[in-house]
Amino acid sequence: MFHSQAQGDLGIFGNDPAAVIAVKVLGIFVIMVLMTLLTIWAERRVVGRMQMRIGPNRVGPFGLLQSLMDGIKLALKEEIIPKGAHLAVYVIAPVIAATTAFLTFAVIPLGPQVSIFGTVTPLQLTDFPVSVLYVLAIASVGIYGIVLAGWSSGSIYPLLGGLRSSAQMISYEIAMGLSFVAVFLYAQSMSTSQIVAAQEPMWYIVLLLPSFIIYTTAMVGETNRAPFDLPEAEGELVGGFHTEYSSLKFALFFLAEYVNMVTVSALATTLFLGGWRAPWPISLWDQANVGWWPMLWFFGKVFAFIFVFIWLRGTLPRLRYDQFMKFGWKVLIPVSIVWILIVSVARYLRNEGGLESRNLLFAASAVLVVVVLVSYTLDLRRKKSDEAEEQRIAIEAEQEFDPFAGGFPVPPMPGQVAQPSRRMKATISSGAPASHTPAETTEGN
Amino acid sequence: MNGESVVFWVSGTFAVVGALGMVVSKKAVHSALWVAFAMVNIAVLYFALEAPFLGTTQIIVYTGAVMMLFLFVLMIVGVDSSDSLLETIKGQRLLASLFALTFGGVIVASIASTLSSPSAGLAIANAGYGGHLQAIGFLVFGTYLFAFEALSALLITAALGAMVLAHNERWTPRKTQDQLQKERTFSNHVTPLPAPGVLARNNSVDTPALLPDGTTSIESLPNAFRGEGQVSKSNSIEEAGK
Amino acid sequence: MGQGNVYLPIFFLGLLAFGFAVFSVAAASFTGPKRYNRAKVDAYECGIQPAQAQLGGGRFPVKYYITAMLFIIFDIEIVFLYPWAVSFDALGLFGLIEMIIFILTVLVAYAFVWRRGGLEWD
Repeated sequence: MFHSQAQGDLGIFGNDPAAVIAVKVLGIFVIMVLMTLLTIWAERRVVGRMQMRIGPNRVGPFGLLQSLMDGIKLALKEEIIPKGAHLAVYVIAPVIAATTAFLTFAVIPLGPQVSIFGTVTPLQLTDFPVSVLYVLAIASVGIYGIVLAGWSSGSIYPLLGGLRSSAQMISYEIAMGLSFVAVFLYAQSMSTSQIVAAQEPMWYIVLLLPSFIIYTTAMVGETNRAPFDLPEAEGELVGGFHTEYSSLKFALFFLAEYVNMVTVSALATTLFLGGWRAPWPISLWDQANVGWWPMLWFFGKVFAFIFVFIWLRGTLPRLRYDQFMKFGWKVLIPVSIVWILIVSVARYLRNEGGLESRNLLFAASAVLVVVVLVSYTLDLRRKKSDEAEEQRIAIEAEQEFDPFAGGFPVPPMPGQVAQPSRRMKATISSGAPASHTPAETTEGN
Repeated sequence: MNGESVVFWVSGTFAVVGALGMVVSKKAVHSALWVAFAMVNIAVLYFALEAPFLGTTQIIVYTGAVMMLFLFVLMIVGVDSSDSLLETIKGQRLLASLFALTFGGVIVASIASTLSSPSAGLAIANAGYGGHLQAIGFLVFGTYLFAFEALSALLITAALGAMVLAHNERWTPRKTQDQLQKERTFSNHVTPLPAPGVLARNNSVDTPALLPDGTTSIESLPNAFRGEGQVSKSNSIEEAGK
Repeated sequence: MGQGNVYLPIFFLGLLAFGFAVFSVAAASFTGPKRYNRAKVDAYECGIQPAQAQLGGGRFPVKYYITAMLFIIFDIEIVFLYPWAVSFDALGLFGLIEMIIFILTVLVAYAFVWRRGGLEWD
């Protein structure tokens, strides 16, 4: 009685014989590894093109085997365990990262029901009423891999990188979680297969565009990819949390990062791009959404996302940490909350008055986009006027010493004279300000 | 033994091991990890009991958020610090054991009370709602409405507490990058200050840099060292170099 | 719904992934060469001698605490939003209004933290 849209029956899951489960499990594992190798290769080739280079093209046709060879090379490298490492945690961390990365793909629907060994079974490992939440839960365990790697290395850079990246991931996880709410509201379900089924009339990217934008932004932050790759900001943190990892342990982190990339892309496809459903011109063909074909559409969409990931990396510079946090906390979160309120009201009006909520939602998305843009330009303009004011203040500051300039106790600027405190009087015998004390006076001590 | 009891015995044991590990571990971070491990196993138990929403929530909120906060706190106070075993509260042990006993008693009593009456089963509990998610929605936003709205007040309290404990208010507005750049350009020192004298044999910030003429540069030192008698003497460096 | 073992495949996938990860970690110590060098096992610090003492007393900005606490607050809000969203059609106007009240109350906390500068990083 509460199922207003009872699409997709979850009863078809969990009935597979052991052989089919084994095939599916192995299939998913192999697909993930292959996708990783392919993605790394694609990334190097595409970024190469974007930077007017060729990229790896020596190993195998078009250099396709390059990432496999790199993996083998990593395996043959010496394994270095730093002196200060906490061994048990140090070893467990990459295992956690890799395992959780693979686990999330279990609930992604790759296609409709097909026949494997004569058993009719959905092209999805499993599904249950809260499978999207399961993805969130596993992802939040995956953060442990990074924090622990940073902590257990016994070194400063990894520790900073681990802390920073976990703060980043939890910040963007909120925006990600909020972007799901509108999808759940319209699908009236949290199971991936039912969400795909609910998108039969219209993909949610059309209906819930702001949610899609928020999710895609958050997913880039969540996977630590450029322009949000601050945990690996090599100019500041060397390699971030995996600085002290080498050989296959490093390879596991690398693998986990790319598997996560594939998983978030697959989730975006599932939630917003109609999952395995064929895109418009192909969907006119009545065989497009049956059998094994949907897998092709699905991976086509996933690769489109991966291409965007690579494109972003080739195009955008890295954000500064404060800008990044500001964007997550002050833009993404309020916008998603406002959007949730709009969606719920629209949905309510549709339920009650039979009002066509679609047009309402389109209008609301447009308004939301305009509001965000206007507030952004206002912010810029305010900054401009602030700048003029600040410049005036800065010139004034040159004449008068402000012991708390910038909010912290500071020494006088060149040309400024500090009012000597008692402590300064005690330590500096001459009357000159500290920064002008000739170095020689300290020598004759 | 059916699947559910296998899961119960395995995950239940792991959860207890995690709890014990938390108590026994010397390092605070290890304790936090053991708790996270126990939490995940409890979530598995929820899954086995056909409460997947509770299971995922357990992982998302407890393992993902609360234990992450604990780890952050441990890193903030210094990652290697082990617990101080000094007891500052008088009668701590007595009070602790009293509370533990009371809590244990409450748990045993509540479990015993459920044993005496036959359980209705999940199917009956969810009947009429169309699934356990809908049932949760209906109960939380219907029957337990007041508790739910009171929770939002609790969340405000948490935010207040965090701000009171950890927030350092700025005294003046922050300088922009642009402003800093301008200040530097108009100052007498456009280039970075000379680095402290980190020489091949001396790796310390209290050693001043040597200028080309052999004198020391006081500007290469942090402010705290610029007073008299706090700086290594350039003579000694030069002599050591000979 | 006849869902006996929907979690079983996840268990097997987890087992496979875990086995793979453990195998890789274990294999690394056999496949690679072993050439000891004291400098190699030191913590990496861009060529400066690593200062071990810093780790013990090394302290981090307390800022992260506020981030984590806010994360918990929003996490709890999200966890309530999910069942609400799924049973939204059944709850009707009543559910809509009470969730709006809930969201606004949590937003008070958010606005407070924002206003006091708890979201600023420098």
